[in-house]
Amino acid sequence: MTALKAILSYMHDFAATTHAVWLREVLRMLRDSGQIVGAFSRPVLWVMIFGIGLTPYFRTGLRETTFMVPFTYIQFILPAVVVLNLMYPAIQSAVSLIWDREFGFSREVFASPTPRSAIFLGKLAGGTTIAMAQGLLVMILLPAANVPVSYTSLFAALLPMVAVALAFTAIGLLLASRMSSFQGFGVFANTLILPAFFLASSIFPLDPSLSMEQALQSFPAWLVFLVHANPVTYAIDELRWAMLGYRQFDPVTARAVLSAFVVIPIALAYHAFRR
Amino acid sequence: MDSAAVIEVSDLRHSYSSVEALRGVSFSVPKGSFFALLGPNGAGKTTLVHALCTLLRPSGGNVSVAGLDVRRAPRAVRRSLGLVFQEASLDDRLTVFENLIFHARIYQVPRRDRRRRAWEVLALVELEQWANAPVSDLSRGMKRRLEIGRAMLHEPTLVVLDEPTTGLDVQSRRRIWEYLERLQKDHGVTLLLTTHQISEAEGADWVAIIDQGRLQALDHPAKLRQGIGGKLINLQIGDDAFRQALSNRFPGKCKQRDSVIQIEAEDPEALLRELVADEQQWRMVDSLEVVDPSLEDVFINLTGRELRDRTANLSR
Repeated sequence: MTALKAILSYMHDFAATTHAVWLREVLRMLRDSGQIVGAFSRPVLWVMIFGIGLTPYFRTGLRETTFMVPFTYIQFILPAVVVLNLMYPAIQSAVSLIWDREFGFSREVFASPTPRSAIFLGKLAGGTTIAMAQGLLVMILLPAANVPVSYTSLFAALLPMVAVALAFTAIGLLLASRMSSFQGFGVFANTLILPAFFLASSIFPLDPSLSMEQALQSFPAWLVFLVHANPVTYAIDELRWAMLGYRQFDPVTARAVLSAFVVIPIALAYHAFRR
Repeated sequence: MDSAAVIEVSDLRHSYSSVEALRGVSFSVPKGSFFALLGPNGAGKTTLVHALCTLLRPSGGNVSVAGLDVRRAPRAVRRSLGLVFQEASLDDRLTVFENLIFHARIYQVPRRDRRRRAWEVLALVELEQWANAPVSDLSRGMKRRLEIGRAMLHEPTLVVLDEPTTGLDVQSRRRIWEYLERLQKDHGVTLLLTTHQISEAEGADWVAIIDQGRLQALDHPAKLRQGIGGKLINLQIGDDAFRQALSNRFPGKCKQRDSVIQIEAEDPEALLRELVADEQQWRMVDSLEVVDPSLEDVFINLTGRELRDRTANLSR
């Protein structure tokens, strides 16, 4: 009976801490005007300028093999922009870890009677929440991008979105646990995000109707290889499937890669965080 | 074990790779007292405080806080401690009140008590009007007051303050002393304060002087001052030879700085009478001052002037 009581009280304390850390992350984001501006401007820039500007050049058959993507360019990139708007805030949320170390708040947290795992969970949940909010924000552009909206498609999009948010928050925490300066973190995060985004078949398709030999005729081998090796490729593919009913890659591979992409960074980040 | 002791430290040792920071320190802090830990930079104060706060696992010896062993029950120890760190540890982007509620949550203050306790500590440190201001709007002194209030939020038995008035102006400093006094007198809280500013330890019930990882002295400040013996006589004498002669006459009892020689005298009157009697000697004395030894004199006596400078340089 006393053992049960102790376990319940521990769980209660654990939940209270996780909630406190989570809430703090969310409040900090809401007070960071730079982040909010970024959250709005990024999708507008990509969808309304890049998307609209390139739409006429999509599916026009500049090469011998025309792409068989049954969508406009703006529809094609919209799920990718959702992922981009998840990646940035997820990684950025971990900056608070460096911030705390620099300005002493980590002492308040780490000298408290709370288990470290609860702090980690709060940070992870906080970053994921912030990222999800910004990812869902892109959905405002669905009508402008002429993507048919249904509740089921939105609901189906949540799972791959959460996966990306979790994975990139964990990657951010992993980086922040090992880095001491804001500048270093910023540079590292940017050099990670942009290639991961561009090499994910986000802004150009690898035509699935082509065989590997044909794909290799249209694109250099290294590019085809990198796109296939990039886990973000599969996240965007899953999201396209949920929102447009269109996919370029094998669903089993996609889901397996995505699951590993969530679990491995979280495990590594937790390990780094505990030290 | 003394049941009235809040802190029990026995034969505490700690080494960082090759450096021995603590070499067997033992003391106990009685409940409800104000205990000052005084020592030069690099003396081992911070290591000792970190061992108390369970932020560091000591290599040897025992530490217990509120009857709890820091190794065996670190979480319970942390809950009974209020901490005020040397550097700021607030979240600048949150408001004053949000910082307090965050603290209440991570220190497991029951939900129904959180807001009430937060207002109580705000009243204690006179920051009620600032409750909804972002912490970034607060001055340094106000932030420190908020940290002291926050340390009280979960009703700890012991509040540990690591150099709490470093870098504050006189007004803030005085206010903080008022609060600390009130905490001790009205709330019965035990205070443990580390400082290298001797004046801050004068008002303590107990002063422990620590240097080179060892406890050099532990007593009431008045007793420590008495320990140095009698009075101190400061004589300003231009003549080098005379100063040298005096210094030879009282070996180990004299200190010189520029043209001033300070003599520790058990019986100052006899010494003065002797000085005045010799007219030739008396004419060479430019000024004379008889003072009570301060804690600073005790401190210098125990830790040594040169040593303090050297350790300060090393730790930089």
